[in-house]
Amino acid sequence: MNQVENIVEVTVFTAEMFVVLSPILFLSFGIVLALLLIAWQRSQKMIAVFSQVILVFTLLLSIHLLSGNLLSGEGVQITTLLKVDQFSYLSLSLLCLSALAVVSLSGQALKSQIEVHDEYYLLILLVTLGAAILVASDHFASMFLGFELLSISLVGLVGYFREHKYAVEAGFKYLILSATASSFMLLGIAFIYSQTGNLSFAVNSAAVSWSPVPLQLFNSVGILLFFSGIAFKLSLAPFHFWAPDVYEGAPTPITLLMATVSKVAMFTVLIKCCFSQGYYNNEYFIDVIIIVALLSMFVGNTLALKQQNIKRLIAYSSIAHFGYLLIILLISSEQSIDFAWQSALFYLSAYILANISIFTIVMAYEKELSQNAQERDVRIDDWQSMFWHRRTEAVLLIVSILSLAGIPLTMGFIGKFYLLNQAVISQSWWLVSGLVIGSGIGLAYYLPIIFTVFKPGEKHMLKSHHPKGVLVASPRIFITLLIIISFYLGVFPDSFSQYIM
Amino acid sequence: MMLTFIIFGLLLSGSVAWVTDNKVFAGIKFQAKWVSLLSVLALGSYFLLLVYFSNNNFQQLQLFERVSWISSLNIDYALALDTLSITLIVLTFILAVVCILVSWEEIQEKSGFYYFNLLATFSGVIGVFSAVDMFLFFFFWEVMLIPMTAIIAIWGHENRYFAAVKFFIFTQVSSLLMLVAIIAMAYIHQQQTGVMSFYYQDWLTLDIKIDVAQYLMLGFFIAFAVKLPSVPFHSWLPDAHTQAPTAGSVLLAGILLKTGAYGLIRFVIFLFPQASENFAPIAATLAVISILYGAKMAFAQSDFKRLVAYSSISHMGFVMLAIFSFNEIAYQGAIVTMVAHGLSSAALFSLAGMIYQRIHSRNLDDMGGFWQSAPRMGGFGLAFAAAAFGLPGLANFVGEFLSLVGAFQVFPIMVVFASLGLIGSAIYGMLLFQKTFQGVPLQQVQDLSVREFIICGSLLGLLVVLGLYPNIILGYAFGVFA
Repeated sequence: MNQVENIVEVTVFTAEMFVVLSPILFLSFGIVLALLLIAWQRSQKMIAVFSQVILVFTLLLSIHLLSGNLLSGEGVQITTLLKVDQFSYLSLSLLCLSALAVVSLSGQALKSQIEVHDEYYLLILLVTLGAAILVASDHFASMFLGFELLSISLVGLVGYFREHKYAVEAGFKYLILSATASSFMLLGIAFIYSQTGNLSFAVNSAAVSWSPVPLQLFNSVGILLFFSGIAFKLSLAPFHFWAPDVYEGAPTPITLLMATVSKVAMFTVLIKCCFSQGYYNNEYFIDVIIIVALLSMFVGNTLALKQQNIKRLIAYSSIAHFGYLLIILLISSEQSIDFAWQSALFYLSAYILANISIFTIVMAYEKELSQNAQERDVRIDDWQSMFWHRRTEAVLLIVSILSLAGIPLTMGFIGKFYLLNQAVISQSWWLVSGLVIGSGIGLAYYLPIIFTVFKPGEKHMLKSHHPKGVLVASPRIFITLLIIISFYLGVFPDSFSQYIM
Repeated sequence: MMLTFIIFGLLLSGSVAWVTDNKVFAGIKFQAKWVSLLSVLALGSYFLLLVYFSNNNFQQLQLFERVSWISSLNIDYALALDTLSITLIVLTFILAVVCILVSWEEIQEKSGFYYFNLLATFSGVIGVFSAVDMFLFFFFWEVMLIPMTAIIAIWGHENRYFAAVKFFIFTQVSSLLMLVAIIAMAYIHQQQTGVMSFYYQDWLTLDIKIDVAQYLMLGFFIAFAVKLPSVPFHSWLPDAHTQAPTAGSVLLAGILLKTGAYGLIRFVIFLFPQASENFAPIAATLAVISILYGAKMAFAQSDFKRLVAYSSISHMGFVMLAIFSFNEIAYQGAIVTMVAHGLSSAALFSLAGMIYQRIHSRNLDDMGGFWQSAPRMGGFGLAFAAAAFGLPGLANFVGEFLSLVGAFQVFPIMVVFASLGLIGSAIYGMLLFQKTFQGVPLQQVQDLSVREFIICGSLLGLLVVLGLYPNIILGYAFGVFA
C-alpha cells in the first residue's frame, strides 16, 4: 500500500528527540517522584509546593524550547506517535500556566478538610500529563491515550469532595458521559482506520481513494463520530448538557482545570488532527462544523443569560467561546494554517487568562463565604459594590469580563479580531453573523456582572475578618500582574504573537 | 506627537483627577472637577494654538503621526487632521467644558471616577475624529463607548442599567459589522497589492467591484446609522438620553451622535462613492422618515429629556439627508447642522439638568410657570427652543436651510416632506417651552446661578454668532468636495 510509504518511518530515538521531548518527559518523571515523595512523607504543603515546582520547570523547559530554533519549521517527529512543533509547545505552556493557577488556588479549597490530599495534586499533574500528550500527539492511538488519561483523572477530581451536595452527581455525570464520548470516538477512529489503513494524523484521509465509493461513507461517519467525541469534551452544543452541572458540582479549582486545561488540550489536538488530515477540504465536515459552531454560540449565550451562579455562567459562556473558536477549523487553504494557529492560540490565551482571573476572584469570595459559615457557590449578587470596596479585585474582574466579551483594550478583543479575520478569509459569512449576534447576546449577561460590581451598596461580605487589606500582599501582586498582562497584551498583541510567527 | 499628547493627556489628567480627588497636597485641596476643567481648558487651547500656528493646509488630510503598531497585521498608529475633524474636535472641547460645568454640583458621589470617565470619553472621541488607520479608528470607537456606558450605568437615573445595556449592545453589534467590513477591506487590499493595509489613504486608491462595495458600504453604514441615530436603529437613544446624567446626555447628543455623521462623511461617502450614490435614495428615505418620525415622537413625549432626545433624531435626519445629496451646499449644511445641533441640544439638556436639580423631575406635567420665578432661565429656554426649531439668526437655521437647499437639487420630493419636519419642530419646541415656563406656576424655582448663567450664556452666544456669521465654519469647511 503506497500511502503507508509516504510516511516517514522514524524508529530511532535520537538525542535531539530527547531534548525536544524533555518537558513532557520531565513532567512524567516528576509524577513518579511525587509518588515517591508521598511514600516518604505525607504532607500537603510539601506535595503542593512540589507539584508547583514540577509545573514551573515544565513551563520553563517548553518556553526554552520555544525560544530556541529546534522547533522552527515543520516540527520534530518523535516516533510515529508524537510530533511537536512550536504550536504544541505554546499550547503546552498555556496548559502548564493554567495548571499552575489551579494548584495555587487549590490550597485554600483543601484547607477546610482534615485529610491529607496528596492524590488531589497527583491527579492534577496526571491531567496535565494527559493534556501534554494530547497536544504532542500525531497519531490516533497516542491521542486516545492522552484523552483517557485526562478524562479518568478528571473524574476523580470532579467528585473529590464527596460530602459536598453535588459532588457525586457531578462525578457520575462526568464519568458516564465522558466514557460515552470515548467510545464514540473509538468507533470513529475505527471507521477512519477502515478507510485509510493507518492511524497516523499525517495520512491525509481526503487523499485516500483506494476504497470503493460506498465505503467512503465510513470515512465521513468516522470523522463525525471522532469529532463528536471531542465535542463532548469541549462541551459544544448539542453535547453540552453535562457542562453546567459538572462545573457547578466540581470543586472550584477543578472547574477552572476543566475550563482551561482540558478544553485547550482538546482543542489543540482537534486543530492538529483537522489540519494534518485536511478535513477543511471535506464539505460535509465543514457543514457539520458550521452547524455545531452556530448552535454552540446560540445555546451557550442564550442559556447564560439568566444564570446567577458564576460557575454555571462560565460553563455556558465557555460553550459559546468554543463555538467561536470552531471558526479556526474552516481555513481555506494550506497557506493560512500558520495564521489559523496563531489566531487559535491567541484566542485561547485570552480565554485562559480571563478564566484564571475570574476564578481567582471566585475563590477569594468563596473563602469569605466559608469564613462566614456559608458553604455555597458564589453568585453574581455577592459581587455587588465590589468596585467601591475592593478596587484591585474589581478591576481584574472587569478587565476579564470585558476580555470575554471581546471589548477593546483587552486580549479578548484581539482574539476576536483574529477570529473575524479568519472567518472573513474563509468567507464563512454564517459564522461571521453568528459571532456578531452571539457577542451581542453575550453582552447582555457580561455587562450586568460589571454593573453589579459598580452598584452601590452595603459592604456585602462581613468585613470584620479583614479590617483593612482584604488581600494579603502576594495575591495582590498576582492580581495586579494579571491586570497588567491582560492590558498589555490587549494593546500590544505583537509581543505575544512574535512567539508564534 | 501633539495629537497623541492631547489624547493621552486627557486620559492622564482624568486619572490624576480620579486619584487626587478630595485629597490635600501642599495645602491645596484637590477636587476632580477643578483638575478636569483646568486640564480640558489647557489641552483645548493647546489644540487651538497648534492648529492656528500650523502651516499645514488642512483642506486635505494632514498626517500627524504614523507608527507601526501591530506589525504582523500591518496595523499602524496613525493620526491625521483636516478641516472636518478640526471643526468637530473644537466642538468636542467646547462641549467638554460644558459637560464639566453642568456636572459641577450634580455629581457629588464618586466624583473622582466620574471625571475620569468623562475625560476618557473625550479622549476616545478625539481619537475617533483623528484616527486614519481603520483598526485604530475602530479601537477608539469602542473605547469611547466603555466610559460612556459607565457614566450612564453608575450616575444615571432610575432605569439606568437597562438603558446602558441597550446602548452598549446596539453600538457593539453594529460596530462589529463595521469591523467585518474593515477586515474585508484590508483583505481586498491584500489581494490587489499583496500587502494587508488598514490605512485610510491606501484604501482610497482601492478599486472595489461595485457589488462587493455595496455590502462593505452597508457594514459601515449600519454602524454609523446606529450612532447617528437613524430610524430604524434609533431605539437606544431615547432610553440612553433619558437615563444618563445631564453631562452624559450633553455628551451623547452633542458629540457622540456627531461621530456617526463624521463616519458617514469620512468613510461611507469617500471610500465607497459609487456604492453610496446607489444607496442614496434609501438613505435619504430613511433620513426623511427619521425627520418626521422624530418630530412626531418628540411631540408626544411628556418627559423633558425624552422630548429633546427624539428631536435629536429629527435633526440628525437633516444631516443624513444632506450627506447623501452629494453636493457642496448640502455638505456644508450638514456640517453647520452638526455643530449647531451639538450646541443647541447640549443647551437644552443642560437646561433639563438644571430644572431636574430644582424640582427632581423630568416630567413636563410637573413643570409650568417657571417664568415667573425664574425669568432668566425662561429667557434662555425660549432662545434654545427657538434655536431647535430653526429660528433665523441662530445657527440651526443656517444649517437646516443649507441642507434643504442642497438636497432639493437631488431629492426634490423628499425635501418637501423633510421641510414638514421644520413645522413639526416648531410645534414641539413651543410645546416644550409652554409646558415648562408658561401656565399656572406649580412651584417656585430658583433662578440661574452664575455658573449656570455662564453655561447658557456662552452656548447662546455661540449659536447667535454662528447664526449671524456662519462663514466661520463655512469658510473653513469649504472645498472638501473640490
